[in-house]
Amino acid sequence: MSTALIDNTYKDPAVRPTLVLGGQDFTSITEKVCGIVEAPKPPRIWYICLAVAAGLTGVLFAMVGYLIVTGVGVWGLNIPVGWAFDITNFVFWVGIGHAGTLISAILFLFRQKWRTSINRSAEAMTIFAVVCAGLFPAIHVGRVWLLYWVFPVPNQMSLWPNFRSPLLWDVFAVSTYMTVSLMFWFMGMIPDIATLRDRATTRVRRIVYGLLSLGWRGSNRQWHRYERAYLMLAALATPLVLSVHSVVSFDFAVSQVPGWHTTIFPPYFVAGAIFSGMAMVVTLLVPARQLFGLKEFITLHHLNNMNKLVLATGSMVGFAYGIEFFISWYSGNPFERFAFMNRALGPYWWAYWIMVICNVFVPQVFWSKKARTNLWIMTIVCILVNVGMWFERFVIIVTSLSRDYLPSSWGYFKPTWVDILTMAGSFGLFLTLFLLFLRYLPMIAMAEIKSVMPQAGLEHGAHAGHGQYWGEIPHQHEHQFDELNGVKR
Amino acid sequence: MNPMVSPPIDLATEKRHLGELAPMVIKVALAIGVLGIAGTAWLAYGAHDGGERFYRSYLVAFVYFLSLSLGALFFVVLQHLTHSGWSVVLRRMAEAVAANLPVLAVLALPVLFGLHHLYHWSDPEVVAGDHLLQGKAGYLNVRFFLIRMAIYFAVWAGLSRYYFRTSLRQDETGDPGLTLKMERLSGPAIVLYAVTQTFASFDLLMSLDAHWFSTIYGVYFFAGSILGFFAMLPIIFYLLQRSGRLTHSVTTEHFHDMGKLAFAFTVFWAYIAFSQFMLIWYSNMPEETGWYLRRQQGQWAWVSLTLLFGHFVLPFLALISRYPKRRRGMIVVPTMWILLMHWLDIYWLVMPEASEGRVPFSLLDLTCFLALGGVFVAAAAHRMRRRALVCEKDPRVAESLRFENA
Repeated sequence: MSTALIDNTYKDPAVRPTLVLGGQDFTSITEKVCGIVEAPKPPRIWYICLAVAAGLTGVLFAMVGYLIVTGVGVWGLNIPVGWAFDITNFVFWVGIGHAGTLISAILFLFRQKWRTSINRSAEAMTIFAVVCAGLFPAIHVGRVWLLYWVFPVPNQMSLWPNFRSPLLWDVFAVSTYMTVSLMFWFMGMIPDIATLRDRATTRVRRIVYGLLSLGWRGSNRQWHRYERAYLMLAALATPLVLSVHSVVSFDFAVSQVPGWHTTIFPPYFVAGAIFSGMAMVVTLLVPARQLFGLKEFITLHHLNNMNKLVLATGSMVGFAYGIEFFISWYSGNPFERFAFMNRALGPYWWAYWIMVICNVFVPQVFWSKKARTNLWIMTIVCILVNVGMWFERFVIIVTSLSRDYLPSSWGYFKPTWVDILTMAGSFGLFLTLFLLFLRYLPMIAMAEIKSVMPQAGLEHGAHAGHGQYWGEIPHQHEHQFDELNGVKR
Repeated sequence: MNPMVSPPIDLATEKRHLGELAPMVIKVALAIGVLGIAGTAWLAYGAHDGGERFYRSYLVAFVYFLSLSLGALFFVVLQHLTHSGWSVVLRRMAEAVAANLPVLAVLALPVLFGLHHLYHWSDPEVVAGDHLLQGKAGYLNVRFFLIRMAIYFAVWAGLSRYYFRTSLRQDETGDPGLTLKMERLSGPAIVLYAVTQTFASFDLLMSLDAHWFSTIYGVYFFAGSILGFFAMLPIIFYLLQRSGRLTHSVTTEHFHDMGKLAFAFTVFWAYIAFSQFMLIWYSNMPEETGWYLRRQQGQWAWVSLTLLFGHFVLPFLALISRYPKRRRGMIVVPTMWILLMHWLDIYWLVMPEASEGRVPFSLLDLTCFLALGGVFVAAAAHRMRRRALVCEKDPRVAESLRFENA
């Protein structure tokens, strides 16, 4: 199976690309995917990555501990820049999650069968990104022990959160998002966990996977309900792809700060979120598929498609930058005009141009199929996109706050070492969780991916039309359908 | 034969040309169009307002049909961009509707003649006394406006003609290479579409109040256009099937999917409309709120509420279930309603700028609608009089005929 893989990105409109390569069958898929979890030892590089990631997570906890013990003064933010690295990181991480939900929910509704190779790991990424995101507003409040005040909990002080504040809407939006994403991810995993349970050779595994598989027996009735539930959850998660980051954008857009208040923010934040998330999926999956030998599942066709989505959403973001700039001039509002000129030419010009170059110009290389199918190019581009998207939030948040209406109260934010290490630490937490996922849970949706293979027979007989079209699409005028349907004339 | 297997759909046995229907449709549509033109001429001449009222009614009708064709063009380009298979049997009608864009370029002329009546920035005297407009004069001036219109319509006409003609060529040759060509162009095409559509909405609609600005405006117009098109599409196929055409090839599954898309864009429109309204309402900045205040005062408040319930809540409830989407006779009821609401939406974008507090419904609105609608339908029917109503040799047509919503 180590022979050269056929190029399934070849574009013949009459042929649908094969989604699983290398002559895999159902057994070999189960062996391969479960094998990653069941192998006595993961590859050595996994240990190295985990050590680094866990080390960074330690740094994160140390920084958070230091912050809580000392106070938010250890960060560089101060009036006028009251939001800086913390909220930048929050928006960045929430955004990262969105690609997972897009892949698992929206692409499901759009019948994009290629999603089956990547949805599991993308959804996992969503959960871990939301974990990282939730951390930042929580520690930003200062007195972390009073965080429960953000929830409308009846209390002896008759104290209620301000329902008119988008910060409170964030609490609801992000916690809903976390709940639905977690349910979607976990429910989708049940049949695969049951497979791991059935194959378990140790007692611990049998118990743990047994508990997690919730008594799955794979009966017809269970499958039927599973698929209905999956469709329902996809339909419920789809509006969340749009709503969560829209609410995050409200944090800024409801204000009157020049550069924050603009009506395009909701869809523009959503496009940016999917853009950064999709780039993160590529960044994570390229090494993962090399490391665990999953090139036959996560093929160049899949990566090609994801890179197209990076290009599409990146261009939307670039277009939105342009529209914002144009309208800031068109509005005739001197404060608006200043805010945008200040972004491009003011003290944070470097951050602005990092953002523009990484988000607008760099992804344009994906117009070329060579770039979309070259592992090195796509990895570099996608990492740069993530850098750019982090800086986008930084630019929006910090430049607008640092210089608003009153020049006498302008300021310049400089991060402290605690700011920087906390941000780096959040990457550690994210990667630690992701590495643990790769090792202990099935990273490819076995049950789903089998349904898009020719062996599933979903393009024949009574199931005609239910499955993935693969291979040559029969030509209408030749009565080839008869053959497919087994009709004898 | 397995009783569970539905027999294959064979396009060869399908009635897939307008045939004798074409002359009839063209005649009726033209008759309505002529009636509309005559009525418009009579009413506009009798109004003695220098055409003020006529131009506004005309702009509403013009933008309405323009948005439907733009929605169709977007659909065609998107299907190629995504290498879509399910929609192949629907695509020809979208191509035909999009191919009305060159016709609409001609129909834009009255808007250009009425420039001074519609857009106060085009009056040098007004600009001389208005500091804000002076600042925008580099963009909002008659000459640049005309240049931009020429560019928009050149792009739209070029793209729609290219996609229509190439697709027709494939009907003859069956060459899959043509699909590749159309797909290759779809990336740049969608970029051109986004830019032209956004700025056209700024120019034609947003600049009616040249002081006001909203960065999401282009997306709002886009959402309405796409929704209008997805509402129109099932009606077209319903009527074609009633006349005995495409009775097998456009299946329940296609109607289901068209319904899903109409539902999705109903929600998308509401999302964009809410985003724009909520952010302006919440920030409460005088340079932005005026636009909404005009639409909340007097009779316009009722139109705004009608849009909230009629453009979103009702279609949302009507389309959420699977049941009506899979029944041809049922799906067209909410989509016809959406088409009406889409017209009201455009009306709501245009009219309050000239008529504060009062909804100036007039017969001219109807006659302009009939005039443009008649020409619009006649042009499309004329274009399709000898063409196949489906892309019959598209390499993915078999996939489109067979897919099911599992």
